[in-house]
Amino acid sequence: MPSFLSLPKSRALRWGLGVALAVVALAAGIQVGRHGFTWGDDRAAAALLAVELPDPAGKPQRLDQWRGRVLVVNFWATWCAPCREEMPEFIREQSARGGRGLQFVGIAVDQPDKVVRFAEEIGLNYPTLVGGLGAMELSRDLGNRLMALPFTIVLDRQGRVAHTQLGPLKPADLRRIVDPLLAG
Amino acid sequence: MRADTTRLAIAAAGWLALAALAQAAGLPAVEPKLLPPEEAFRFSARAVDARTIEARFDIADGYYLYRDKFAFETGPDVGVGAPDLPAGHRKHDAFFGDVETYRGRIVVRVPLARATPGQSIVLKAASQGCADAGVCYPPSVQQVSLALPAAGAPPGPVVEPRRKGLFN
Repeated sequence: MPSFLSLPKSRALRWGLGVALAVVALAAGIQVGRHGFTWGDDRAAAALLAVELPDPAGKPQRLDQWRGRVLVVNFWATWCAPCREEMPEFIREQSARGGRGLQFVGIAVDQPDKVVRFAEEIGLNYPTLVGGLGAMELSRDLGNRLMALPFTIVLDRQGRVAHTQLGPLKPADLRRIVDPLLAG
Repeated sequence: MRADTTRLAIAAAGWLALAALAQAAGLPAVEPKLLPPEEAFRFSARAVDARTIEARFDIADGYYLYRDKFAFETGPDVGVGAPDLPAGHRKHDAFFGDVETYRGRIVVRVPLARATPGQSIVLKAASQGCADAGVCYPPSVQQVSLALPAAGAPPGPVVEPRRKGLFN
């Protein structure tokens, strides 16, 4: 065995090394627990991009028609007040940065007529698709364990997961996440 | 000299460990701490008599339920009447108009249409609510099995849903 692989002879040193390794492993565990394995996330993102969901008119749409843009996929519902409250900000961002390649897409866990009525009311300027609880399961695969709303996924131009967010996305956070992706 | 090296190594290992922990802990919090819906909105029920169920929801602090989202169901042979929902806190919703919400504990009387004393029933309760942290849960259904009291017998015990195990 090469000498650099041999264990230190001092008991204290061995103990210290053991503790250090254990803590590093724990920290790594925390990281994985929070973010999941990146590969798994990207596979889930690919599944999300490939799924076919109806728009409010009933026409099937796929999210990968917007591949190449920075995609913000927002799961929402009219019965979710915090969802409705953050959408005016998404509308502003869509008109401000749509030209630079930013694309919001909603997935409403709701009834089409309510989606249409609310979209008209707030002047929604980005597409929203309609999914049932099956659509929520797509979000679960991306880390939304409780299948709660709003849940937002930011994908880079290559379709890789850049950010996932349960609960409202603060305007400053949104810009901090999206800006480097638009520049890249 | 040897003792110095040892101390130095322990200190270095300690720092490495701390740095690793700090990195893990220092990442921006991705999501608010949230209870699963069955813990945020704890459902239980008791049979008062063969015609009446008392359903309870113990709502955790920081969570609320919508009054108009409740639904109760039993098998078709038993059938439920209109639940007696207490008045809630009125809240103006920009899209839905005036809505009522509940916090804390609520008790709902649910009449049974065609139950017989001593019969066993399953009561399903659908509810929908949100957390003040800024998220809403989709409607969730919880259920309890209740034995209705025999004619003239006192009310049954409060029954909670059976919790799911780790792997089912």
